[in-house]
Amino acid sequence: MRARLSGVTASRGLALGRARVRAPHVVEAEERRLSSEAVEPEIARLVDAIRFTRAELAALRDQLQGALAQEVGEFLDVHALLLDDPDLVSGLVEMIRSGRYAASYALKLQRDRLAAVFSAMEDPYLRSRREDLDHVIGRLQAALQRGTAEDDIIGLAGEVLVADTVSPTELVPMVERGVLAVLVSRGSPMSHSAILARSLGLPMLIAPAEALAAIPDGVAVMVDAGRGEVIVEPGPEDLADLREREAAEAREQRSLVRLRVAATRTRDGVDIALMANAESRDDVARARQLGAAGVGLLRTEFLFLQRTEVPDEEEQYAACRDAVLAMEGRPVTLRTLDLGADKADASGIALPREPNPALGLRGVRLALARPALLRTQLRAMLRASAHGPVRILVPMVSQREEMLAVRRHLRECERELRREGHPVGAHTPLGAMIEVPAAAFALATLLDTMDFVSIGTNDLIQYLLAADRGNDAVGALFSPLHPAVIRALHEILAACRRTRKPASICGEMAGDPQYTRLLLALGLTELSMHPANILEVRAAVRRCELSALRRRAGALLRARDRSAVERAVARL
Amino acid sequence: MREQELVIVNALGLHARAAARVVRLLSGFSSQATLEFRNRSVNAKSIMGVMLLAAAQGARVVLRLDGPDEDEAMAAAAALFERGFDEQETA
Repeated sequence: MRARLSGVTASRGLALGRARVRAPHVVEAEERRLSSEAVEPEIARLVDAIRFTRAELAALRDQLQGALAQEVGEFLDVHALLLDDPDLVSGLVEMIRSGRYAASYALKLQRDRLAAVFSAMEDPYLRSRREDLDHVIGRLQAALQRGTAEDDIIGLAGEVLVADTVSPTELVPMVERGVLAVLVSRGSPMSHSAILARSLGLPMLIAPAEALAAIPDGVAVMVDAGRGEVIVEPGPEDLADLREREAAEAREQRSLVRLRVAATRTRDGVDIALMANAESRDDVARARQLGAAGVGLLRTEFLFLQRTEVPDEEEQYAACRDAVLAMEGRPVTLRTLDLGADKADASGIALPREPNPALGLRGVRLALARPALLRTQLRAMLRASAHGPVRILVPMVSQREEMLAVRRHLRECERELRREGHPVGAHTPLGAMIEVPAAAFALATLLDTMDFVSIGTNDLIQYLLAADRGNDAVGALFSPLHPAVIRALHEILAACRRTRKPASICGEMAGDPQYTRLLLALGLTELSMHPANILEVRAAVRRCELSALRRRAGALLRARDRSAVERAVARL
Repeated sequence: MREQELVIVNALGLHARAAARVVRLLSGFSSQATLEFRNRSVNAKSIMGVMLLAAAQGARVVLRLDGPDEDEAMAAAAALFERGFDEQETA
């Protein structure tokens, strides 16, 4: 009989297959005491199970390759370490020996004891690590029952597995065998299994246990994990629907590919410059592949972090030059060191600890306090400018004196380099990141000291709203749609228009397609973002009619609270 | 017997991956190792123990080592902490 159930998407995708129901492991809940002769053999059984589970994990590690291995391999390491954890294992052996418990009961006791400690943790991230514990214990229980109960069902080709939970170690063999989708009753989209399922492209859905219990073994099921929908015993209309959805997905894939080479142009013919935020060679290569118009922000901190010495001019020059060359004539904006006391420890720069690093010696302040550091960077960047169009961006500017001082250093470095015979680009624009509210409010007094501006919304919004987005207690206050943010952006852009200074935006807001219409409406024509967002934002730009957006922008400025802003954005 | 205060510098603190790196490193030495934070002391070779310390960014923990290779182990551990457990962080 046809039935429909809904659940939460853990991994998107469509599937049509036979249901294969796997009953949850029944763990011995009884306190069965062993006879004294049975104790040592039971310990041996436990040791065997640990060895088997360890081998399972190692096999999975070997099967993973490339980027997947990196992402997933690390939490598998945690699982392996859990297996080797002296606290975990010695406790078990002790329980079997002195309590004469069966191994699976001892495992249950140990798991319950540790789970209680995790659940008591305040930190939600640590609380969720309980999942790691459960996976490992689950595999151990399965290994103990191997050979006695029926072998683990992980499914066969053309099947949709219905289970209470799946462990990451089972997913790769599942995919290899041709299992089409997985339905589970426990877990979350953030679980390791979900992360791995997404990487493997295996559709996965989380639905309530009672709903899944109604699925008989062997019936046809249709899964649209992206929509959170399962249809048991689908009829002809459902199947036609499925075909259509599959075709639509294939079309979307093809259009994404075409989007790489499409122009970033609004429906009324206005070109918007889509740039990339980058730091590594890979980022820059991807940016090129995806048709970025340039690099809007090249971060230089990575050269300094996790080092005990400061990188010398040659090394910095090589990194900048490589980025410039890779962009093949498209502009590259290099940002001077944006570090503060919080990260400086992890670099070769000795700094005293600060009680308030966000409001401390960082960015241009640090640079001007360490002129030798700044000049080495500027020299490296100027030398790179000989290879292509380069702009230099200074972070955390809050007053005129800072820009004037940096400009002085820049001029002197340029003179030095020319004297030494190094080729240098003819004109290297110097600009500022607008992120400190002082710079935003008093921009009119600063603009003559800069050739361009780049709005750093991540920090600007934090400073404006006095809310740390990493702090759970106030993270919700952080919103790009607060009226203060809208007005700040408007004022910044108006000031730039009046003085004809180019403006761009490089915070996360720039790469979020839900804000594209808003940013265009406010007047931005240059956006810089993580390469991963380029295609989506390009698609959003292509759907915009700029003249209409600009006409409706007035409502944004009249909005008095977040909901009003949201409504105005929705009507754009 | 060696004892040293170490600071946790990376953004996510001593979370699962970082704890794994610490445990793997110390397990390679024969010296006994304990980590102390806020009056709780755990076996530093136990991943459960280290994770459960729940030491966040900025926390100061005390590492105690006792054994023939304690100097080497301390130097390696101090370096690992200083490097923020080799975490990739995005600015």
